[in-house]
Amino acid sequence: MDLSVPPDITFVVLTAITLVAAIMALQAKELIYGAISLAVSFIGIAGFFVSLDAPYLAMLQIAVYVGAVVVLILFTIMLVSREEVDKDLTGETGESAAGLWLAGLLAVSIAGIAALAGPNLPSTAPVGNLPISQLGPVLAGSYPVPLLILALLLSGALLGALVLAKVDR
Amino acid sequence: MVNLPTTPAGILPFIVAIVTSHTFITLVIFPGFIHLMVVVMFLTWYERKLLARIQLRIGPLYAGGPGGILQPIADGVKLIFKEVMIPYTADKPLFLGIPLALVFLGALPFAVIPFGQHWVIANLDVGLVFVFAVTSLFPSMVLIFAWASNSKYPFLGGLRSLFQQVAYEIPMWVSALSVVMLAESFNLVQIVSAQQKIWFIGPAFISFAVFFIASMAELERLPFDLPEAEPELVAGWFTESSGALFMVIFLALYMKLYLMSSLITVLFLGGWWGPAFLPQPVWFILKALIVATFIIIPRGVYARLRVDLLIKVGWTRLLIVALANVFITVVLLRTGILSPWGL
Repeated sequence: MDLSVPPDITFVVLTAITLVAAIMALQAKELIYGAISLAVSFIGIAGFFVSLDAPYLAMLQIAVYVGAVVVLILFTIMLVSREEVDKDLTGETGESAAGLWLAGLLAVSIAGIAALAGPNLPSTAPVGNLPISQLGPVLAGSYPVPLLILALLLSGALLGALVLAKVDR
Repeated sequence: MVNLPTTPAGILPFIVAIVTSHTFITLVIFPGFIHLMVVVMFLTWYERKLLARIQLRIGPLYAGGPGGILQPIADGVKLIFKEVMIPYTADKPLFLGIPLALVFLGALPFAVIPFGQHWVIANLDVGLVFVFAVTSLFPSMVLIFAWASNSKYPFLGGLRSLFQQVAYEIPMWVSALSVVMLAESFNLVQIVSAQQKIWFIGPAFISFAVFFIASMAELERLPFDLPEAEPELVAGWFTESSGALFMVIFLALYMKLYLMSSLITVLFLGGWWGPAFLPQPVWFILKALIVATFIIIPRGVYARLRVDLLIKVGWTRLLIVALANVFITVVLLRTGILSPWGL
């Protein structure tokens, strides 16, 4: 029996699962539901890897992120007392509005870059067997937009970690 | 591909075509659902009978069939008709949902286990990694279920289960690495095919021992059954489950027992290979049941380990032995000692 579905539908469904689960992970009132949503989001990303013909990466994504990182998060949740968590979860409304504005600005600028880059967007052609010395030129030359988004994401995560870990004196 | 029927008379041939299709048979009957249920039910009876004989008791007797072999059916009927009690403070969606997820996760890896050269549902190139990925979801499920029960014994049991399974998962899969090196593949079908001349228990005996011990810890079997230590924790992480919910969890646990026995059969005991007078799946199931026997027997023989010893053995002994074994396998392969067997 032919069970394959058009790639577009797969992509849309996977994107929906991943995004909805990620938003739920951020918005969950109960931390443990946040952790479970995060796990679902990771599994959605593994689904992307499967649809991109990278099953090995997908399996490792599940094993490492869902099997190990989520377990670590669960550990942390179990060890932190509930009152301590509830206090920090309630952010001010102004903060989330600013966050939304910033996210919108970022999305627009990334879309602008992508539109300008146009034909230089990543091709679907396989990269093939690449010597490690060529990794940098290929990443920065053929895939500038994903690299840029990745850099933004990483610096955002780093700044977020700094803000969260900051001790008020 | 079966075409949809257009006339009423076409419905019966359509159903016959569906039922006799290879996909349906592999999914529902043989390596799939029905076979899994029958073996799992047999295993519950088998464990009770075996432990009874070890302890000079008689065990199940009156439920019909030779030796009360219909006991699992009686158990199932009894559990279904019992009340499912949900603790008042429990988190209901998780409390009811996680056991179902556990059964699903227990059954999922059987999709890649080859019961014969052609008796496999999905011949996946990353089969072993797939099993690894799916089984790595168990500990977090157990902890979430224990948390959702909102009761102290399940929670203690769940924490113990998590510590234990995380500590033994790593030596387990590192020891499986030498099998991958010997077979040069993650594909379980190819791993079994590579064992036609010699079962990997020979060249990789150390990794078999490590894998066996670690799988007993993963299954929370004695002497590693701390997460459900009866005298201390009632029934460990599933203390609060009752009735049909308990049955579902029990099903998941025995599925995992069968899964680990099958995996040991695939990786070390030559899978379906055996003298030709029996069909391949029969050899496979026989071997898996023998492995299950050796996993069950310690429950009637040994006492429980201490928590600190358990963690220490997992991280500082088994892991080092497993890593050393990887080195030994490299040496064996490089020096060509194994070349007479085509490795």
